[in-house]
Amino acid sequence: MGFYFVDPELYKQYKDRVLELSQAIQINYPEHLPPERRKPGFSDRQIAEKLGIEEKAVREIRCVAEREYYPVDEWERALEFKDKACRDFAVGGVASVTKKYIKRQKDKAG
Amino acid sequence: MTAQDLDQMQAYKTELNDLALKSGALVLGVADAAAFTAAQEGQRPEDLLPGVKTVIVVGGAQPRAGDWRSPTYRHMETTSTSDRVTAIGNRIAQHIERRFGYYAVTIPPGVDRARKPFLNVALAAELAGCGSPSLAGPVLHPEHGFMYYAATLTTLPLPFDGPLDKPACPAPECVSMWNEHATTPCMATCPIDDGGCLGGTLVDERIGERRYDVARCTTRVQTHFIPGFQKALGAVFDEPDKEKRKMILWGTAFTRTLWSMSYSNVSQGQCFECMRVCPVGSKHRELR
Repeated sequence: MGFYFVDPELYKQYKDRVLELSQAIQINYPEHLPPERRKPGFSDRQIAEKLGIEEKAVREIRCVAEREYYPVDEWERALEFKDKACRDFAVGGVASVTKKYIKRQKDKAG
Repeated sequence: MTAQDLDQMQAYKTELNDLALKSGALVLGVADAAAFTAAQEGQRPEDLLPGVKTVIVVGGAQPRAGDWRSPTYRHMETTSTSDRVTAIGNRIAQHIERRFGYYAVTIPPGVDRARKPFLNVALAAELAGCGSPSLAGPVLHPEHGFMYYAATLTTLPLPFDGPLDKPACPAPECVSMWNEHATTPCMATCPIDDGGCLGGTLVDERIGERRYDVARCTTRVQTHFIPGFQKALGAVFDEPDKEKRKMILWGTAFTRTLWSMSYSNVSQGQCFECMRVCPVGSKHRELR
């Protein structure tokens, strides 16, 4: 093969750690948060230094692992989600997402 | 820099602002190129243009009010792209080089080999005062809400604009909803703890904590783009039955993905549901 790709065994060994360090699920990642609260993901170079593997290997592992993270079913669910959310909004506006909370509050009060 | 130089730079900035607005932008702001300290290495202005002094951000190319009203989410898959605002960024860059004689580079809207943007344009928009980051993610302008941004790096030492004093997110309506129901419209439509992408808290009418499932958001924003294509192709390779392989390859999901990829060679967002319910700028989406 003429282009670089990562060895599958190396991938399996490091994918969870790479995802964790790069923050596949971002928690307090945004730049505008105060420095004491901000937890940005590490860069590929920083992850490589922590794990003791090459930066280009980290890059490949991260890109493949991000794609593998959700199974193809999640793509199908995405279509269903968007279709429903968009149609509900066309009918009810913002109330399409707020009404259930207001109803819950009314039920609680009543 | 002398007072005369400062006047000259202010005049250049006014000229660029007029050019941007005439070209269809809604806002223009200027960030200090040295202020990108929160960006990762390789994604700072100096990494892309040696000697860069400022980052000019233009915003616009919003979906139309009618786009937001359509009950067909697929409509916005193809009508909403950053192409138009990037073209304005390119026009700014050309004007700077030809008329003022300084280097200028417009950031391309795609990603590099590491699937990262060449520059964090959202951070640039924030530092240029064009908007503020939202709980949902996109940078929101206080008046216009969601829009697309383009950034142009230049050695032209224009006067800077700073970040906004008061962030656009959370909107007053969202603070009220948070106080009563511990959620906001964007989190309610796409809740991270119930199969969605967004979570977080508001504290003292500001964003407190934020959680964002970027991998799930990718399945929604780029359902029929490169990531969707890769997943579908993987399913084809995994399928040993020839007839079933044909069903996948000629089926609707794979076909739609190929159409989508050929419509646009740059970033193409395909999910707008958190922004559809966002109150910031929504008055411009309420027409007759």
